[in-house]
Amino acid sequence: MFQFKPGREVVVVGVGLHPFGRFRGKDLASLAREAVVEALKDCAVKWRDIQVAYFGHVYYHGMSVGETALASLGLTGIPIINVENACSSGSTAFWQAYWGITTGMFDVALAFGAEKVPGGPVTVTAADSPDRYIGGDHMMAGYALRMRRYMEETGAPASALAQVTVKARQNAALNPYAHRKDTFTVEDVLNSRPIADPLTLYQCCPTSEGSAAAVLCAREALGRYGLDESRAIRVVAAALTSGNYNGRGSDHSAFSPYRTEPAAVQAYEMSGLGPEDVDLVQVHDAATIGELQQVEALQLFPKGEAWRATVEGRTALTGDLPVNTDGGLLAMGHPFGATGIRMVHETITQLRGEAGPRQVSNARVGMAQCSGAGDVTTVQIFAR
Amino acid sequence: MPESSRNTPKSVDPGRLRLDGDQASTGALLGMRCLDCGISVFGQAVFCQACSSARLEPVDLSRTGTLYSYTIVRVPPEGWPGPVPYVLGEVELPEGPHILAEVIDVAHDALRIGMEVRLALEEVQSGDSGPVFSVYKWAPATESTLGTGEV
Repeated sequence: MFQFKPGREVVVVGVGLHPFGRFRGKDLASLAREAVVEALKDCAVKWRDIQVAYFGHVYYHGMSVGETALASLGLTGIPIINVENACSSGSTAFWQAYWGITTGMFDVALAFGAEKVPGGPVTVTAADSPDRYIGGDHMMAGYALRMRRYMEETGAPASALAQVTVKARQNAALNPYAHRKDTFTVEDVLNSRPIADPLTLYQCCPTSEGSAAAVLCAREALGRYGLDESRAIRVVAAALTSGNYNGRGSDHSAFSPYRTEPAAVQAYEMSGLGPEDVDLVQVHDAATIGELQQVEALQLFPKGEAWRATVEGRTALTGDLPVNTDGGLLAMGHPFGATGIRMVHETITQLRGEAGPRQVSNARVGMAQCSGAGDVTTVQIFAR
Repeated sequence: MPESSRNTPKSVDPGRLRLDGDQASTGALLGMRCLDCGISVFGQAVFCQACSSARLEPVDLSRTGTLYSYTIVRVPPEGWPGPVPYVLGEVELPEGPHILAEVIDVAHDALRIGMEVRLALEEVQSGDSGPVFSVYKWAPATESTLGTGEV
């Protein structure tokens, strides 16, 4: 099924992040640029050596924001591409950068993403869509449908789902870039405001502002650009899929984790690694149920068992498979266009051994999975 | 509201719901069935979503299905014209497709995964002057509708 053949080995040499939160006085281009500058500094790459840039974002803030964000770094004439792929916009930008390098088209590429997500429930369709009358276009309601079904099928208690938030907040408390750093008990989570039963407010990710950036390079070309290999991390898989027919149709599939499985299979195939090789993972936990179903879809836990693993602490920083080590969407926050590259940032930071108080011990292989409306899924695997 | 001042109800989505007659309270969910592999999809399609065949025929989908999951939405999306909270159901049709729509005429504590529901059309208006749409919803299938649901 997977017809693409990677060519040159690609490494991530630099990553940068702007804190996630609310930054009312800062426009999208400024927000985006700050993460890019951090990523450039991180690897000491020269701006004029960046040969292509992909910018992920979703909400409209005027045309060609990617070009605007990068203009003050220098007008070098490189192709700059603005990418919209829902919540996977950032990880799609990263995917394009990876494939641009591995196929030999470019040596050095920038992937970056930024967002200023408005408050309130997130919808996929335009405001005049008939779906607004039908009532099904409501991201968290979609997660709530999955959650109730999962609880019915697996016997997972509400407290097990709440534990996903408890863990996310504990991780975020160790992360100065996180949007939500205060910690909660299971009771706090269950007693927070109901949004769409059984989902409560603290089980839904915040709508955030923020940005993230990554610089990628062909391994064989590092010396040519004066780049240091010691902190470089290999990209051993980068998969991007849209929906496969699942028997239920597209009206349902926008909320379904079934679409992660083909992307995971591709990523394992590309890397020659298996679920047993993964030391830590970042997944799309827009709601608590998302984390449980995604780690199962990635074959990291058996179907219906991730809730138990969570309760047993196996997905905590000290567990055998830490999940969403920086707080995830639930606590780090979710600025759509930045999220996929934020996951790359955290994975690279962990594999470099630079994650400070939230460092996972002996982290050699890290995985990142990001979902987007329209059945988009990205899966990347990184190795030290 | 006097009858004369009302807009004529229109299908909320003509590609997914056909109205029959003037009352806009009867109609059918529309689908496409593949003549090669046999699967059905909700709404319009150019090629079969499963096998890519171009040999599709329009069909009326089943009027009953089972509740695959449900949620009580307490914070509605922007533009939601109805009362809050509302029940959103994911309903599995016998042909396969899952269809999300509001579930009406049911007490929250009577909701059960697996319960049988039937298609129910309701007129919905946004505000006092917005357009009137006939919207497809689900309601519990009563004894009398259980036997007559399939068309």
